[in-house]
Amino acid sequence: MSTPEVRDMSCVIVCGDDAEALRATVGSVLGQTLAGTEAVLVATGANETAASLAAGDPQRIRLVHAGTGSHGDLLRDLGLAAARGRYVMVAAPGERLERHACRNLLEAALRTDADLVAGRWEKGPGRYKDLYARSRVTEDLADAPELVASDALAAGFCVRRAALGTLSDTGEALFGVRAALAARRIALVPNLIVTGRAPAAPVRDLPRAARVQRATVELLRHDDTLRAAREKTFLTDHVVPCVRAFLPLGPDGRREAAATLAESLRGLVTPEALRTLPPVERVGVRLLADGDADGVRAAAYALARPGTVVSPLVRTGDGRVRWSAEHAGDDTFDVTELGHQYGQFTDLKLLNQVTHCLREGAVLAVGGRVVVPLGLLDHGPVLAARLDLTVRGGGARLYSVPVGDLRKEDGGIVWRAEVPLTGALRPRGIGDRVWDPRLVLTVDGVPVTTELLADKATVPAGATALPARPRLTRLTADTWQPYVTAGHHLAVCLLPRRRPARAAHALLHYVTHFRPARELKPVLRALGKKREALHSKRVKTRVYRRILTRLPVSRGLVVFESHMGKSYGDSPRAVHEELLARGARPRCVWSYATSPAGFPAGARLVRRWSWRYLWALARAEWWVDNQGFPHALDKPRHTRYLQTWHGSAYKRMGFDEPRHATQNAPQRDALARAVGRFDHFMVRSEHDVRTLARAYRIPEEKLLRAGYPRNDRLVAARARDEREGRFPRPAPATELGIPDHRTVVLYAPTFRGLPKDGRTVELPLDVREFAERFGDTHVLLVRAHYMEAASLPATPPGTVIDVSGHHDVQELLVLADVLITDYSSIMFDYALLDRPLVHFAPDLDAYAAERGAYFDLRARAAGPVAETQEELLRTLDGLKEADGEWQAARRAFAAEFGTYDDGGAARAAADLILGVKEPRA
Amino acid sequence: MTVTSVRTGRDLFLLANTVDELGGVTAWTHQMARLFQAAGHRVHVIGVHEAELKLTLPADLGYDVTSLYPAHPPTPRPIRGLARLNPVAHHRETLRLAGRARAVARLTEIFRTARPGAVAVVTQVWPMEWVREADTSGLRIIGMSHESYAYTKACHRYRSVRRNYPSVDRWLALTQEDADDWIADGMHNVGAMPNALAHLPEVPSPRTAKVVCSIGRLADQKGIDMLVDTWARVAPHRPGWTLRIYGAGADEPDLRAQCTRLGLNASVRWMGPTDDVPGALAGSAVFVQSSRGEGFPLALMEAMASAVPCAAFDCAPGVREIVRDGEDGLLAPPGDISALADRLLRLTGNPRMRDAIGERARVNVQRFSEERVLERWEELFALLER
Repeated sequence: MSTPEVRDMSCVIVCGDDAEALRATVGSVLGQTLAGTEAVLVATGANETAASLAAGDPQRIRLVHAGTGSHGDLLRDLGLAAARGRYVMVAAPGERLERHACRNLLEAALRTDADLVAGRWEKGPGRYKDLYARSRVTEDLADAPELVASDALAAGFCVRRAALGTLSDTGEALFGVRAALAARRIALVPNLIVTGRAPAAPVRDLPRAARVQRATVELLRHDDTLRAAREKTFLTDHVVPCVRAFLPLGPDGRREAAATLAESLRGLVTPEALRTLPPVERVGVRLLADGDADGVRAAAYALARPGTVVSPLVRTGDGRVRWSAEHAGDDTFDVTELGHQYGQFTDLKLLNQVTHCLREGAVLAVGGRVVVPLGLLDHGPVLAARLDLTVRGGGARLYSVPVGDLRKEDGGIVWRAEVPLTGALRPRGIGDRVWDPRLVLTVDGVPVTTELLADKATVPAGATALPARPRLTRLTADTWQPYVTAGHHLAVCLLPRRRPARAAHALLHYVTHFRPARELKPVLRALGKKREALHSKRVKTRVYRRILTRLPVSRGLVVFESHMGKSYGDSPRAVHEELLARGARPRCVWSYATSPAGFPAGARLVRRWSWRYLWALARAEWWVDNQGFPHALDKPRHTRYLQTWHGSAYKRMGFDEPRHATQNAPQRDALARAVGRFDHFMVRSEHDVRTLARAYRIPEEKLLRAGYPRNDRLVAARARDEREGRFPRPAPATELGIPDHRTVVLYAPTFRGLPKDGRTVELPLDVREFAERFGDTHVLLVRAHYMEAASLPATPPGTVIDVSGHHDVQELLVLADVLITDYSSIMFDYALLDRPLVHFAPDLDAYAAERGAYFDLRARAAGPVAETQEELLRTLDGLKEADGEWQAARRAFAAEFGTYDDGGAARAAADLILGVKEPRA
Repeated sequence: MTVTSVRTGRDLFLLANTVDELGGVTAWTHQMARLFQAAGHRVHVIGVHEAELKLTLPADLGYDVTSLYPAHPPTPRPIRGLARLNPVAHHRETLRLAGRARAVARLTEIFRTARPGAVAVVTQVWPMEWVREADTSGLRIIGMSHESYAYTKACHRYRSVRRNYPSVDRWLALTQEDADDWIADGMHNVGAMPNALAHLPEVPSPRTAKVVCSIGRLADQKGIDMLVDTWARVAPHRPGWTLRIYGAGADEPDLRAQCTRLGLNASVRWMGPTDDVPGALAGSAVFVQSSRGEGFPLALMEAMASAVPCAAFDCAPGVREIVRDGEDGLLAPPGDISALADRLLRLTGNPRMRDAIGERARVNVQRFSEERVLERWEELFALLER
């Protein structure tokens, strides 16, 4: 094949000083599967590497010389002018093009006739993932604003060379943004284009990024939306990382950086962009722009350890909380949202900055300063303090030193302690080599622990080391060395400094790192792998099927499981308790998924999928469960399976679900086989028979029309309400600290699956607004499955309580005066209590359309259906007056969906298990 | 500025599992072979083995056809554990390797006849096991997958694709959406290429007969059971309409029983397999497809070419690629029987809608015409030479 005159793709590389990086980039260009790719090297002065590379392949590498002292962008433009490719791209030395990158870009360009084609590059922020998720073409930047609002086009794209002439010439503006603004049509592809980009160094890069930002914003001046987005993204992508990077800097480095950065940021931190940031980020950026080095560092600490109070917060007249007295008048410093004002002094995590750490004779003198916010010590409480040293990595050993010198000083606490390391602290020398000191403040007798934040400059290695006397002789170590950890905390470690200890260490290092260890390691690894394989689910299932299920039955053994081992609750718990109450002592085994916390001590506990679990299942006389024992485990011949199920159905279930309908035949057979294991299936009404039983194809003779055991408690509670009234409230009220005069509202939305990729899920209900409107009269209990990922916003104490970890929902239902739910099956249960219920389902129609519903909730609801937050709060306001109207509907609802719930379900289940009589027909 | 490339008269090797099996990929292979040959290329179709259930091929195809093995080659079974002591197993393995070496040598020999600019199109991933060992110097290799990403991902072929296709020059999914999925999965040499519509009937269906038709094997993947359930919701509202189900398969007795159980015997006709698809479509007013999984469904394209409006489960990117929902057909979420019933009710209840959608479908589906698809192949060959 001859060489074409015109290339398909030119890659412009502005050479730097790093020869190795340049070679790597040029190598990746030459290695492209698109043969018509050329590299254009732009070198200032004599660059030997570039020259030798160009000499090696003159057809595909061209060298452009530029005068020394030329500017970076100018050099790039020189390269672009010399390029011969139909499309051009720019790469920095060190960046490597993926082998097929140019072919993929060219293919997309030819297919879509786009002026600019962009793909992914490694180390880009995560949100670019969405931008490049699908191949698409856009002619309007509003469809993909990130392209110009962020630095997505810092790498990984190509531009039609013919379009370069139309580029506006605005100094240092980002080349990608200029190209995107000029392009008629832009194609985005999911392909990886560039790898090996240098990791960002925020503090070093900010001055340049700021210059680029200034020019780019100027370029976007006609489009307010894009400009505002660019200003905001600049803060989150460049300035906030800078704030975070302040934590490891020493005092001098901090001051220097703060001065330079404040200068470069002038005019780039706009109030509108600041307002979009979360509170701590906002304050940190503002302080950085103001050049306050220590303030930025405090903010960096708060970012690294969320929830820490790092400044002397003050309360203003209008009930707002501001960063410090100095900034009390500035809205930017409003941090009310963080909710520190609701915490007691002893609940707060406080910044404790070490100001002093030096050897004084035979002791280590440590001093520091604790931030005290909101004038919490103004009432003059009794203060005491001690310094606790604990062994890193567990171990109960603790060494305490009283803090002699403790005083309040302009809004903080200043302390100083003398730690007699040499004389008093005698470590073993092995297994306790690192100790972490923490300051424990005692305020009116209540302790609060603070971590010690330290600067490397404050802890000079030479002036702090002290002799150590380990119990296992000084061969293990001979020196106490205070140091600053990777997390910027003060710690003390044991080191070998003298010859005997160093020799002992060298020997130990040899044994653990050289030949003896090297020979042992693969053996241990192989053994570990074998062991792991023996305990894999595959092996377990086979042993269970072939051996365990053939073991004889163990009479009276009942295995319980609730929600696949996640909780001790629901109907299996009710059945278990009924069995215990009968005094019949069947041997009960409960399975737990991860932790046995909250499970009863009396029962035998087995972890799900453990050998003991399989053993229990194989020998049990009864299985009792509300969701399903692992599908892979067949039921032994001698076992009977009571399936209590976990709720009546609103959305379609089982084979009525499109998810199951579209599965292939073996998958559907597996589900059918798993459901076929049930011997008894508990139902609450004919609605269940029509929906659940039909959807899972459960024959008539297996149905147990007795209601749900878990609901017996609700039936009993309703009887008690009618007999004696609602008060005193049941037990959990005192536990949760709910006073009698407050109305208890339980909010329990449907489980929608755990959030993916660590994203936080927002509750549909804004609890803060609820707390503002109803905080004085109501208390909101929130039960949501995904709470682990989404923490509740801060609200005044006692107004909103997270009860997601509560094992027993029924207990909460009995406690609640009002239930707010969407379409969760909890509504069917709660209706039995005959108390007000509000449906809050902003997405009801979408959900019903997507998942499919068995009936029209609006037509048959047991309470008002609210679509918006405002509607919900209004409904709650007028609930008492309106409730009369809903009573009839609610009772009809309860009667229809809970026909068989008469309080005797657990009894019926226990009868069945104990073989007292046949189940009711 | 033209690249010195072979525009016509290129040597093309099409490799498939078999050359004469009854199935979609074989049909596609011969369709493309015919097209390439007509466009002036020299085509050689190569199969790994000869099929048992044979497709009747015309005596003179106009191009070479070769099978590397006379029957299905033995499956490799690693000799582990006690089998290591078994001489028969060792002998079997030796024979297998010798057969394999012969097949690879044969393939190398065929490839060696190629002139510069030749391309090997591997239509299924299995033949790659031989292609990778053969001498392919001077040859461009294009891999293909005739299934959706999700379908491949769920079965053993996924590992085979991950193992075999990173080394080829380019490999093609059926749609750009599938290609994007593969790219997101970490493969960098993926492109997309649709199947071609074989022919456009001269006369579109009059859409006057009150007939809904379905064409496809009576196998689980085609979801005829869901179609019968759907029809149970449609039939009561549309007296006078008939559902004709074309195709045969192992599930037929079960499906007929299901039909009887639902009391639909009066309105459902089991038509058996048909050779005359355009004829079947000409007698229908609506086409329905209820598959659980598809690649790039030909039946859907044929219905559209006959101007018969379609209702289908949106079960794969290929379906979305062919049908633009609401414009030239109606799609329902996969497995959602009531939604599919709703689409059928809309189409059967509104003749004006049927006409509008059907006519638009006939025009739109021509973007997959043989000429257009052939053009895309030529563009691809040119791209690989750049």
